[in-house]
Amino acid sequence: MARDDSVSISTVRGEPTREGRFVHAREDRSQKVRRFLARIGNYALLLFFVLLMASPLLWMFISSIKSNQESTAWPPTLWPKSPSLGAYRDLFNVSDFGTYLRNSAIVSVAATLGVLVISLCAAYAMSRFRFRLLRGLGEISLFAYMIPPILLLVPVARIVTNIGLANNLLALVLLYTATQLPFGLWILRSYINGIAVDLEQAAMVDGATRFRAFRDVVVPQTLPGIISTAVFTFNACWSEYLFASTLMTSPSRLTLSPGLTLLLDQTGVYSWSMLMAGSVVVVLPVIVLFIIVQKGLVSGMGEGAVKG
Amino acid sequence: MSRPVPTSQDARRQAERLPEGGLSDRSLAIVLVVPAALLLLLFSVYPFIQAAFDSFFSITLSGTGTWVGLDNYRNVFQDARIRDAFFRSIWWTVANVVVQAGLGLAIALVLNQKLRGRDLARGLVLFPYMVPAVSVALLFRYTFNDITGIATYLMQKLPWLERPPLFLADPDIAMWTVIAVNCWKYTPFMTIILLARLQTVPRDLYEAARIDGASAWQMFRDITFPWLRPVFLIALLLRTIWTINDFDVIYLLAFGGPLNATTTLPIEIRRLAFGQQDLGLASALAVLMAIFIAVVSFIYLRMYQRSEDRLM
Repeated sequence: MARDDSVSISTVRGEPTREGRFVHAREDRSQKVRRFLARIGNYALLLFFVLLMASPLLWMFISSIKSNQESTAWPPTLWPKSPSLGAYRDLFNVSDFGTYLRNSAIVSVAATLGVLVISLCAAYAMSRFRFRLLRGLGEISLFAYMIPPILLLVPVARIVTNIGLANNLLALVLLYTATQLPFGLWILRSYINGIAVDLEQAAMVDGATRFRAFRDVVVPQTLPGIISTAVFTFNACWSEYLFASTLMTSPSRLTLSPGLTLLLDQTGVYSWSMLMAGSVVVVLPVIVLFIIVQKGLVSGMGEGAVKG
Repeated sequence: MSRPVPTSQDARRQAERLPEGGLSDRSLAIVLVVPAALLLLLFSVYPFIQAAFDSFFSITLSGTGTWVGLDNYRNVFQDARIRDAFFRSIWWTVANVVVQAGLGLAIALVLNQKLRGRDLARGLVLFPYMVPAVSVALLFRYTFNDITGIATYLMQKLPWLERPPLFLADPDIAMWTVIAVNCWKYTPFMTIILLARLQTVPRDLYEAARIDGASAWQMFRDITFPWLRPVFLIALLLRTIWTINDFDVIYLLAFGGPLNATTTLPIEIRRLAFGQQDLGLASALAVLMAIFIAVVSFIYLRMYQRSEDRLM
């Protein structure tokens, strides 16, 4: 009876009371029917939510394997008459999509590595040492997290020009590393706080320097935190539009977001099936990353929530 | 290996005595945090100060400015366009956060049931959160296209509609369209957070309630929801801040139009700075927006503290 011990929204009246189970056998049967109906209701809701969230993505994929003409056919066809990867081929041949893809990959990978290295170091220091300087860094990083990005747009554009990085991908790498740092610091610090000091102290007693103890003992234990930080950082850099579109002006420096937007403005040249093919290519890497970490993500966040 | 295992107190004392060619704790701490501190100072603190400074000047993007005191702030409150953008931002944020919270909770509760195919369903339902804004924009501009969009086609099939709505071209509808799309993308964030928390509810609480004959609704009201509340508030706070600040999805879908119908504060600020070349006014508005967000966050955090206290 009580096998399903999570609360559902649709079994509201179907829950048996202890008395009910012993006293009335007939009511028990009607309750069984109700529970069965509630279960059907739950499956119906599940199906509805899955369709609601997944069908747009499915439509994106279906449209990307249509021919150019078919992608604008009226009435729209639910499944392509002759599925092909032609739109993908055209996209790479006709447009600069390959360049955008390469730029985004360079910037996102570099910024993710930057965030990981810099925030691991700082998070370790903030977790293990007590100096006023370190508390200051925690406050600055919270403050940085709260500032609206739009407020920083013009000053940052000016700084980038002044340090001679206008139209240089390195500017985006530095900027993304800086803007994603607070998140990395926050996640990694709470992870390192949860790791007992004994192991690194033992390593230091055995003659390791503090830095080696950090690198060889602490960092490997932080791996789950490193992975979720990496995934979120990569995703944020991969999809960023506001700064990328303002700071990178020459076509050869565009990343995916401003690049695809540029193609969108010329729907006369680029068909919808090509644009959908571009979208699929943009979505693919982050979905793959997401699948890899999904399981740990949900349970990991739960642990963090328990610890507060 | 042969030496006796030291207690952590001993180890600490010994570790402090034995740097063995390493740096002292203090210099190591400095070396470790300097890169982070420099980046944050250069790309967050300094630009923030610069923007606050600009807000007291009449200044264009290229030129040097003249001091105008609080004139820009006065203009912010008198400009009708800015007032419209402010109320649109409130509308955009409240609608988004309310729908995402409700839908996110409902989905999390269903995904928390022991149903067959749950793991696959979880993955599918959570995907939209990872889809980059530009893909979201392309996909829904295609879907809501007036001429060939599948949504337009499906709407045409509805018998009670005289003609399908112009999802992104009708100023009365465009805002609802971008809100719906944004909710599609960000509801999974709520679901992820709430689902994680749901998995930590102490089981014995439900057992005890069941023995007392509590209904499912009572168990939700008295056990599940209070347990979710602190995390729920934090998730709401993050969503509120991000939604007010959000630029990418709404801009890429509708570019602020039609007829400014989707021009929220961040889009208006960018227009003031780059379109109207009035950097002073743009900075003043951005500073006020930052203060507004700080106030809202403060209220949330007070509520959070109270709900944590109640749980303890």
